[in-house]
Amino acid sequence: MSVGVIDLVSLRKEFSDVVAVDGIDLHVDGGEFFSLLGPSGCGKTTTLRLIAGFERPDSGKIMLDGVDMAATPPHKRKVNTVFQSYALFPHLDVFDNVAFGLRRRKEKRAEIRQRVLQVLEAVRLSGLEHRRPVQLSGGQQQRVALARALVLNPAVLLLDEPLGALDAKLRKALQLELKGIQEQFGITFVYVTHDQEEALTMSDRIAVMSEGHVEQVATPSEMYEEPETAFVADFLGVSNLMTVEVEPDGSVCRIKLGDFTLRALGGAVGARGDARAVIRPERVRVEPYESTGENRVPGMIERVVYLGSSEQLVIRLASGEVVNASVANDGSERNYVQGTAVQAHLPADALRVLPPPRL
Amino acid sequence: MRQRLLWPSFALPGAIWLVLLFLVPTYAVLAVAFGSVDPIFSNPVPVWDPLHWQFDTMRDVLRQLRPGEPFWTVFVRTFVYVTLALAGCLAIGYPVAYYLSRHARRTKKLLLVLLIVPFWVSYLMRMLAWVGLLLPDGLVNRALVDLGVLSHPYGWLDGQASSVIFALVYGYVPYLILPLYATLDRIERSVLEAGRDLGASPLHTFLHVTLPLSKHGIMAASVLVALPMFGDYYTNDVISGSPRTTMIGNQINLFFQGGPQRTVGASLVVVLSVLLAALMSYYLWVTVRASRDLV
Amino acid sequence: MKRFLDWWANPWGQPRTLAVVTWLYMLWAIVPVCIAVLFSFNDGRSRSVWQGFSTRWYWGDPDQSVLHDPALRGALEQTLKLAGLAMLIAVPLGVGLAIGLTRWRGFGARPVNFLMLFPLVTPEIVMAVSLLLVFVSLYKIQLGTTAQALGQVTFSISYVVLVVRGRLLSVGRQYEEAARDLGASTLGALRLVLLPLLAPAIFASLMVVFALSVDDFVVTDYLSSNSSTQTVPIKIYSSVRGTTTPALNALATVMVVATLVAVTFAALVYRRFNKLQQGGGGAVSELAALEA
Repeated sequence: MSVGVIDLVSLRKEFSDVVAVDGIDLHVDGGEFFSLLGPSGCGKTTTLRLIAGFERPDSGKIMLDGVDMAATPPHKRKVNTVFQSYALFPHLDVFDNVAFGLRRRKEKRAEIRQRVLQVLEAVRLSGLEHRRPVQLSGGQQQRVALARALVLNPAVLLLDEPLGALDAKLRKALQLELKGIQEQFGITFVYVTHDQEEALTMSDRIAVMSEGHVEQVATPSEMYEEPETAFVADFLGVSNLMTVEVEPDGSVCRIKLGDFTLRALGGAVGARGDARAVIRPERVRVEPYESTGENRVPGMIERVVYLGSSEQLVIRLASGEVVNASVANDGSERNYVQGTAVQAHLPADALRVLPPPRL
Repeated sequence: MRQRLLWPSFALPGAIWLVLLFLVPTYAVLAVAFGSVDPIFSNPVPVWDPLHWQFDTMRDVLRQLRPGEPFWTVFVRTFVYVTLALAGCLAIGYPVAYYLSRHARRTKKLLLVLLIVPFWVSYLMRMLAWVGLLLPDGLVNRALVDLGVLSHPYGWLDGQASSVIFALVYGYVPYLILPLYATLDRIERSVLEAGRDLGASPLHTFLHVTLPLSKHGIMAASVLVALPMFGDYYTNDVISGSPRTTMIGNQINLFFQGGPQRTVGASLVVVLSVLLAALMSYYLWVTVRASRDLV
Repeated sequence: MKRFLDWWANPWGQPRTLAVVTWLYMLWAIVPVCIAVLFSFNDGRSRSVWQGFSTRWYWGDPDQSVLHDPALRGALEQTLKLAGLAMLIAVPLGVGLAIGLTRWRGFGARPVNFLMLFPLVTPEIVMAVSLLLVFVSLYKIQLGTTAQALGQVTFSISYVVLVVRGRLLSVGRQYEEAARDLGASTLGALRLVLLPLLAPAIFASLMVVFALSVDDFVVTDYLSSNSSTQTVPIKIYSSVRGTTTPALNALATVMVVATLVAVTFAALVYRRFNKLQQGGGGAVSELAALEA
């Protein structure tokens, strides 16, 4: 299974005044659901357009199954794209839209017909062949765009925020459907999104990008649990980022948070000096003020935010930092009110040390 | 490499056309204006090399442009007519465009169609219509006499400045309303509502929100209408035909259609173009800026 | 009376004064033309005193009607001939220029872009004089139909570019990229996707060029040779102040009706295009946007 393997080697693309992609290296396995995640302007869409062939790289290689494609025009690449706005041809009906690529390959009429109907069935659009794009709902248009690319049996399918234009509920449903289709067809998906939840739900692996370079490549759970940089920790979900001082003490890593010394087990435990520590809100334990033990910092509840399935507590620590704690709404009786003094327990295995930000 | 030449090759025929039939002809005017005159047939001989240009004719034309001289009168008259006609166009056009963009609801489509109709009726047909109305025994005179305003028919078509200005307003106001409408229509309703919400009266909202936001649109539309008016001679010829109302356009036309002094005519064209250059550059500046916003 | 005052002063209603001004303007703009059309059916020779209904100035009169007077009929034919030529030449040139200028980002695009704007702001008499001088003294082109067509195309191209480029910018590059992605070559994408999407704009620009051509007086007049190359506007200009018959009104009316029929047809086709592609959108406001 070595179809649809992508290797980007020192890929670089500059537009007149900005470096959009700043020498990135990436490896995507065949049949993998790979997401490029990042805020707008981080270079993820440009990376996708480089793979598709709409942009010509300034330097670097784009290898598909071991062959460099940097000089191949888009219509000769075994790669197809689902566009953000779908770009369904408004002057053609659904059938002709899906048949467009097959006709360019000069396939036989009967063959075209059979394959178009087949793929329309796979995306559950049978019976809508003769509708025009304007007569379809957003979700249907999205599936036509998908079918139009899938019918060509590409080695890699590129998706540029394909769900961005849909409302939240439909998006959830289509996420699962997309994942299903990817597994059914078994082809490589490179998926661009700025929605971290979308990336976490669907991907086999994620690359988080920022300002033209790759911050971290990891599986969704690694990415969430073990962020390697402050950017990743901050971008994925809510994080508590604290400025700390690291003092390696033999095999254990001790970090100083104000006057308090805590033990941390995760992250760059070998670092020393100024660094940042991170902990997820759901890993922060809120305990009565009387409780004692290591990694406990006294604080006071500043605000309580009710979120339905959980409660978010904003705690001002004695060291001055503000920490968010998320407490599941599991029926147990806890009466946290504003002004309550508590102990914030930051368990050592949940506390990660991050190297200071790159300059 | 082939790719890189593809798009320019699409533009090439049109670009060559514009160079040969716009740029070169513009230069030809200079070559004639600064050229010489054949001593025997007294027809113009263009001089293409700027090093051999002669400035006698231009000097003569400029001399006649001094206050009190014949061309001075014509130029001043033209500026007065155009200014008055433009003011008239704005006085009529702005309220109409404003009403259409802000208030017309059910009737908007109908009004827009009516607004466009004059575009599809030839300009000279519209002038022809007014000549018919303004003839000594035309409807206007008969109505005014019947009402007792006039004791006998008035010679509207006998070289009256007021008739010429009126005809200019009638002829050009549609060209002003449409761009004005487009400008005003682009202003978001919520911005105006915010003005009202923050305590401005309708008049204040208009003065401090609508007017500043449509300023460039108004100016650009005015320039778009003023430029052709400066070169207009046919309105004048049709409605007046008298030397008492001669404008620059008539003067230039006279040198080209009437007499042999094309060198003088070409010089006048050069002078007119130089005077209008400021207006043209303003319009181009607004257009280029707007198209940059689009891209 | 009180009800009337309430209606007039209702702060949430429409501003009545503006509404009255607008409707008066519409009447003022259109009624004179209607009266001129009416007098083309006058039975007498006057263009201002009604003497009964007749169609003599259209075809009844054996010498002076539009149908039988060779000068009037010739003007009509020359007008339509020039309009056909202008559409045939200016639209392809303008479409090419618009596509080229929006896609081509290299050296040279800027000056051409700038040059293209000039014909829009140059007073017509300046353009007419310069074309006349260059044809006579440099290109040695005989005045007449050829010269007139060249002149009309010159001022029409820029309008075509504006109309088509507006559409190009709103269409964007995504459809072309999608076509390329699905295996079409650059030219294939242009032919299969871009041109069909530009069809409404191309169609609209045909109409705009038609209107510009049949309405043009100055350039066409300067580049005409003799009475055989006179067009309808030239004919109106040269005879409106003389002692003339309602046949002139009839000639103008024929032109107006022809234009309005063409435009209505165009608006319907345009709306059909839009329905298919964007699910509606008023043809009228689109055309209004085009003119502006």
